[in-house]
Amino acid sequence: MPTVIACFKWVIDEAYIRRGPSGDLDFSSVDYKIGEYDRNAIEEAVRLKEASGAKAIAVTVGMPEAAKGVKDALSRGIDEAYFIADSSFGNLDSSQTALILTEVIRSRIEHYDVILCGEGSSDLYAQQVGPRLAEQLGIPCISFVQKLSLAKDQLVAERRVDEGIEVITAPLPALVTVLPDINVPRIPGVKDTLMAGKKPTAKIIKDDLPPLSEPLVRTISLTSSRMERSCERFGTDAAEIARFVGSLRKKGVIG
Amino acid sequence: MSGVWIISEKRRQSLELLNIGRQLADKMGTHAAALLYHDREHAEDCVSHGADEVMLLPPLAGEEPAESRIPAIAEEAKKGDPDLILLSATPRGKNMAALLAARLNVGLVSSCTQIDYDEGSKTLVMERLAYGGAAVQKVVCSARPAMATIPPRTYETAMPKSGRQGNIRELPSPSSSAIKVIERKVKAKEAKDISEARVVVCVGRGMEKEEDLTIARQLAEAVSGSIGCTRPIAEELHWLPEELCIGLSGIQVKPDLYLGIGVSGQVQHVTGIRNAKVIAAVNKDENAPIFKASDFGIVGDLYDVVPKLISELKK
Ligand SMILES: Cc1cc2nc3c(=O)[nH]c(=O)nc-3n(C[C@H](O)[C@H](O)[C@H](O)COP(=O)(O)OP(=O)(O)OC[C@H]3O[C@@H](n4cnc5c(N)ncnc54)[C@H](O)[C@@H]3O)c2cc1C
Repeated sequence: MPTVIACFKWVIDEAYIRRGPSGDLDFSSVDYKIGEYDRNAIEEAVRLKEASGAKAIAVTVGMPEAAKGVKDALSRGIDEAYFIADSSFGNLDSSQTALILTEVIRSRIEHYDVILCGEGSSDLYAQQVGPRLAEQLGIPCISFVQKLSLAKDQLVAERRVDEGIEVITAPLPALVTVLPDINVPRIPGVKDTLMAGKKPTAKIIKDDLPPLSEPLVRTISLTSSRMERSCERFGTDAAEIARFVGSLRKKGVIG
Repeated sequence: MSGVWIISEKRRQSLELLNIGRQLADKMGTHAAALLYHDREHAEDCVSHGADEVMLLPPLAGEEPAESRIPAIAEEAKKGDPDLILLSATPRGKNMAALLAARLNVGLVSSCTQIDYDEGSKTLVMERLAYGGAAVQKVVCSARPAMATIPPRTYETAMPKSGRQGNIRELPSPSSSAIKVIERKVKAKEAKDISEARVVVCVGRGMEKEEDLTIARQLAEAVSGSIGCTRPIAEELHWLPEELCIGLSGIQVKPDLYLGIGVSGQVQHVTGIRNAKVIAAVNKDENAPIFKASDFGIVGDLYDVVPKLISELKK
């Protein structure tokens, strides 16, 4: 029975970030979510499980608050989860996250066939945890995949490259990062959410891990980039449409 | 050893990278080198556009993927010890950069939009977008070499200068990769480049059917504009080519007028239009975020509004 691992990140929902008075970021009313494309990774793990009887495992590194995300992942059809949590894990760089994942996958998950990651996290979108994890584990990495299937001891993937698409074969185990068009993530129902509470989660704390590596990329500032626009509204009757077109002409942006 | 390296397989992209690469090399008092994929003619071109040295990677066997070049590149980087390595933020460039950074165990700044060299502290300060484009993140790499991927068209191509001299040499043959390419499907045709278009009509998921693109095209024609789209239209529905996807994971546009129809205006999309002079939108949801990012917004059904706009524009 194959084992498929989906890695995900519990991230700030960027739609709730506001611009602070001095151009700083106002996180005071934010909500959290599983990163957009990580939901595709989770869905693909569950899809492979349904197609081949695989076991689907989810792994995440994050703050203790990410427990909600673990439950969310389990309610999406994942069988069991590994939750690596510490209050200092909110600002790891991709190399640190990849090293922690490597350590946990290597020491706790005896056998696996495929590791799935989203093409990038919704917050920092550095698009590197997958390739770095594959390199550390010494397994092939296939990025930007839009179609995936498992054969006996290899996988077949269609990946996006500059000129179009390449169809790739890779021996297992292998790591795959997925694009949003690979599937449509399901929306868990009430029953799924109830079931999620009964599924096993292994919690791993910082003390269980070797000392944290230094970040390779250091953030020196984060400022808001929100732009100010005049936000004028128009209706749909003839006069309003004429006023709208008139406004564009007045700005000199159309002939 | 030191230097600024650019790694690229396409002519235009290598000349763009050489532009910023050469500027930084001059400021840092070092040389610029280009690592290219087996094209001699292109190598001479890079020399006249600012490369002091060109390293050529031999061609790949048929089913070998680009990745099989990683070991040779990593070896060369360990020997040459560059200060900075730049690649283009295209799908392949991003993949190669991430694998190379992982192999060298160094930092990589993805989709970097600006790089400055601070002469006082002798550090490279780089900028990129975070939180879907809601934030600008300034970063520094703490290991050597620093690495970055740069979106195509962030910089102009370098200017050629006659009489420039450079050393061209071949690198060892690529190794064999565990992954194999069993088929290559080349895109039917390259879409028109809209990054310089004066007017862009952008189609969003508010469009119900592919056939309805006709009304977007008619509108584009009425304003002498080009068609662009949101990511779901290009990548989930495949109604339009990926090159027309505007935003964080697509392209940046800077038209005089951006007109979004049926576009919700999530930050990842809006970040691609921030340099538009005027942003206008048609959306039936008065609470759609696009209205907060627009100068002029019509709250209404696009199927009602667009035909009216077309006839008004024709007056
Ligand atoms: C890391 C990351 C990177 C991303 N990069 C990009 C990117 O580069 N580009 C990009 O576009 N997106 C990107 N996205 C996706 C982005 O978050 C949005 O999901 C996407 O832009 C939404 O596209 P849309 O507006 O077409 O669709 P929707 O959000 O579904 O919006 C459709 C809109 O149409 C309106 N509508 C429906 N029917 C009608 C009608 N009849 N008349 C008028 N209005 C109507 C609705 O009110 C709605 O506002 C990215 C997401 C992530 C997480």
